[in-house]
Amino acid sequence: MFRCVLTAACLVLFASSTLVHAQKQTIGAPPEASNMKLVGSNDLQARSAYQPTIHHQGNRWIAYIGHHGGTDDVPAPVNPMTGQAEPNGTSIVDVTDPAHPKYLRHLPGQEGKYESGGAQMVRVCDGKSLPKGDPNAVYMLRTFGSEAHEIWNVADPASPVLITRLGGLKDTHKSWWECDTGIAYLVSGAPDWRTRRMTQIYDLSDPAHPQKIRDFGLPGQEPGSTGAVPTELHGPISTGPTGNRVYFGYGTNKGGILQIVDREKLLNGGKEPTPDNLRYPEISRMPMSAFNGAHTTFPMLDMPVAEFAEDKDGKTRDIVMIVDEAILNECGEARQMVWFADVTTETRPMMISSYTVPEASGQFCQRGGRFGSHSANESMAPVYYKKMAFIAFFNAGVRALDIRDPYHPKEVGYFIPAITQATDKRCIPVEGGERCKVAIQTNNVETDDRGYIYIVDRANTGLHVLELTGPARAVAGLPKN
Amino acid sequence: MRRAVTIALVLAALGASGVGAYQLAPPLGQASAHWREIAWPFSRDGWPAGRAFRCEGGGCDGVELYVRAKRGFCNCDSGVADDDEVDRVADIDLITPRFTATAPGELVHLGEMRGRARRYDLAIDDSVSRAAIGIAVSRRCDLFVAAAQGRGDASAMQHAALAFLEAEEMETWVAAALDGH
Repeated sequence: MFRCVLTAACLVLFASSTLVHAQKQTIGAPPEASNMKLVGSNDLQARSAYQPTIHHQGNRWIAYIGHHGGTDDVPAPVNPMTGQAEPNGTSIVDVTDPAHPKYLRHLPGQEGKYESGGAQMVRVCDGKSLPKGDPNAVYMLRTFGSEAHEIWNVADPASPVLITRLGGLKDTHKSWWECDTGIAYLVSGAPDWRTRRMTQIYDLSDPAHPQKIRDFGLPGQEPGSTGAVPTELHGPISTGPTGNRVYFGYGTNKGGILQIVDREKLLNGGKEPTPDNLRYPEISRMPMSAFNGAHTTFPMLDMPVAEFAEDKDGKTRDIVMIVDEAILNECGEARQMVWFADVTTETRPMMISSYTVPEASGQFCQRGGRFGSHSANESMAPVYYKKMAFIAFFNAGVRALDIRDPYHPKEVGYFIPAITQATDKRCIPVEGGERCKVAIQTNNVETDDRGYIYIVDRANTGLHVLELTGPARAVAGLPKN
Repeated sequence: MRRAVTIALVLAALGASGVGAYQLAPPLGQASAHWREIAWPFSRDGWPAGRAFRCEGGGCDGVELYVRAKRGFCNCDSGVADDDEVDRVADIDLITPRFTATAPGELVHLGEMRGRARRYDLAIDDSVSRAAIGIAVSRRCDLFVAAAQGRGDASAMQHAALAFLEAEEMETWVAAALDGH
């Protein structure tokens, strides 16, 4: 009997150790890829990266990349260009030649570690597109840690000049800026609101002279309210005056809400944050499961769906892609993934499909760090818009989805970079201490008008520039390479 | 083999019930008031269910206490920053979505964890005023929250709840819950 149990235990131990070995990423190993390949990379000075925005600037392509604060081990990495220890801020990289990204400048952010410091978010508008902007300027809107939003003139991306700062906030996050009108939906934490994050709407058509329009949030979050506080905002995306809609995503990994808002009523309705004024512009809201949040709410309106082509009605659909954010390491929560909502009948939005990386395809729950979705590309350039979506999936890298039929999204490619010496560990508590593993943590992804895909790593592995290969290119209508 | 598994299961069950009985036992010297574990009374939400207790006897008789860990929910550096955060996270809204804070909160600690506690009036339609307290403390990026409700004095309720949570067996459980066990 004892021998029987011992043998079984040995077999289990052997199987476990083999499994763990198979999952572990190692330095020097090739990246894992399917229908995507590496074009170029940059280590971003080993800073934890958040949001990249790729801007076509004259005849150059510039990547502006927001960073979290530093780590416990390295609170302020040394910038080799200055020789100084600098708190993480914004990396500015020339990616005109995507095979050889050239690091131009590190613009320090707020001191502080992890989400308490840095300058996580960034948006860019040309002065010539803003109604009252300097036509020779290029404006970068970024967060400054949790305490401020800043606008810099980055016409010379190697020498940014500060234009404006909106400070006194208790948190900031993923803002949206309409480059044709200048209206900005700044995710802020106004000191008197009952939530860490809500929306402060500004007219930034003249970035040197910001004009406040109003504060906005869910009733119950406003100053002076009582009772339950609705889940906090993560970020909005506007379709501008043409689409006249703003899609707000609340919740990050729990109790998500998609809120559809009439932009004109939002901008021109009553400004006082009363419950009635906050409700006035809302068209509808779709509560999600308590298990999932709404990190990104990406609208794709008037999508033709081939399957419905012969139907008398509903040949085209208005779709919102909702991406949750995984928070905990090693699958310590419900799976965070990607959802597609049909909002064609706006007052009755309906979830129609979902996507997740199969865990067993890489034993991702055992690899270390977070596994689950975080964000999607937000470029609406024709090269991929309404055809392909790219999802940052933490230790499962970036995933390329064919979304032409949003009722049946299909993965057509992926890329998981190799770890490097710079890749930071991720730990979980265990009996008597903690256990740490090193794994890729692809945090964000963006695309440019040329079709290059840019992924950045939360665990300090830097920037990887990718392109599609094989059948995935055909999905986007790209020529064979 | 099957017998060995059965024995192991029985031992595990006996061990678990033994732990339960220990936790249910009133602390020495406080025989007039003790906390009895009851079923978690709320429906499933985004957080795993916690544990619920009812005070029997003494100054907190009838008070119910709900506690759970919320892992990954706190600002890793600033911790529980203000009273609004207590309003948002302390699970008072599980009892009723209609509650009003009666005063600014105060700093509290549970072992090495720091945070805030706040008192509330609950709007529950049973014509009897009901008070509640919300407690939120943090350990790095994780929160531990407690909500208590009853018909007595909120100050006494808070004192009794904190004393119970600082008992060694509860501190051990809180640490394990924050570790994800």
